[in-house]
Amino acid sequence: MNDYFNLLIQCLPSLLDGLKTTIIMAGASLILAFILGLILAIFALSKIKVLEAFYTFYVYIVRGIPVMIFGLFLFFGVGALLNIKFNPLLASIITLTINASAYLAEIFRGGIKAVDIGQVEAARSLGLGYFRTMALVVIPQAVKIMIPPIINQFITTLKDTSILSVISVRELTMNSQIIIARNYRPFEVYSYAAAMYLILIVALSLFAKYVERRLQHGKSH
Amino acid sequence: MEKVIEVKNLHKSYDSLEVLKDISFDVTKGEVVCIIGPSGSGKSTLLRCLNRLEEIQAGDIEVFGTNINKVKNLNKFRENIGMVFQLFNLFSNYTVAKNIMLAPTQLGLMNKEEADAKADELLAQVGLADKKNVYPDTLSGGQKQRIAIARALAMNPKIMLFDEPTSALDPEMVGEVLKVMRSLADSGMTMVVVTHEMNFAREVANRVIFMADGYIVEEDNPEKLFTAPAHKRTQAFLSSVLKPLDS
Repeated sequence: MNDYFNLLIQCLPSLLDGLKTTIIMAGASLILAFILGLILAIFALSKIKVLEAFYTFYVYIVRGIPVMIFGLFLFFGVGALLNIKFNPLLASIITLTINASAYLAEIFRGGIKAVDIGQVEAARSLGLGYFRTMALVVIPQAVKIMIPPIINQFITTLKDTSILSVISVRELTMNSQIIIARNYRPFEVYSYAAAMYLILIVALSLFAKYVERRLQHGKSH
Repeated sequence: MEKVIEVKNLHKSYDSLEVLKDISFDVTKGEVVCIIGPSGSGKSTLLRCLNRLEEIQAGDIEVFGTNINKVKNLNKFRENIGMVFQLFNLFSNYTVAKNIMLAPTQLGLMNKEEADAKADELLAQVGLADKKNVYPDTLSGGQKQRIAIARALAMNPKIMLFDEPTSALDPEMVGEVLKVMRSLADSGMTMVVVTHEMNFAREVANRVIFMADGYIVEEDNPEKLFTAPAHKRTQAFLSSVLKPLDS
């Protein structure tokens, strides 16, 4: 047992360094995906045929390709084609951004659509215009619907970062593998990494529960 | 009498399904018109055309002499036409007070204090002064519908449209809503009411329109329409809806 913790202390700087990169990857990707997802959702709801078609195409493509293949294709495939060497961190942020943006866009679109059309009709019948109706009535109600799946997507993207160890980003999984290559202690080192992911994700999940409860409360009181 | 609504040769289709076929009728100021008829006859669709919640394919709808399908500022125009829905459609993210005050304050008709005073007045009028600060999901159906009426009245509309306002209510709550509507009618409000409440139509309406299959089959004063309907279709409908009450 003593040995287990001694080894942890030994590995900790490198693991924390990896964890930092994991958080940067997930954080940057999610911020960008959030913005891109909003734009895509506006396309989907625009009632402009070309934009709707683009949205559908984008979502199908992204949902149909595994993150790992997408990352490998971008980093090695596109890299070779254009004869450039991608920065692995940049390539992984692009990959995760594109991936999460499609799912977030679906969440945004679904949330807006889930608001009862009667709410819109009531607002419009009172003389409120389209934008006021959206801002005052639809979006506040949609946000409540969207928050749990948004946080789920955050968790998914956070876990997907580990897949991008395949393109040699020095994130938590990659750093664990590097340590193991040196010390041949996979049981211990992977358990440290797993614990770190777990702590991060449980914290996020608890935060999600807290937000959800607060929103439920806000509705009836 | 001044005509406030004039509908001429209105046609409305959903794709290839024609739901309103050559509808024409007028409503004069202060009149209460009830539209009755079997489900699927187009009554609700007709009502929703009057404030352009539905687009039409042909015909003219004039409200206060303005063609509602050509009006430049539709939002401004809708302020004159209050609407009450079958499923209430109270804004679930706002309190009762905010539901009532939202549109008048947002659209610059009243400042916050004025709107607040108006909300108090209207809540007293519909008998729900004690519900001012609760959220809609804590109210019964009848209470929700009375709040919905108050919300529409807050805009000081000149016409009120009611789309089956009691159809989604438990039977014991129908009366409280009809009472509010009746006193509104007594106050001289111009009202168009799509309803299945035959007694209300009989007692409160100045005129009753019977619709079936997308047509206006006949219209008359309630006394005549209910006791001596001219058309077979009307007779059949009335005998089917009135019979359970008699037996």
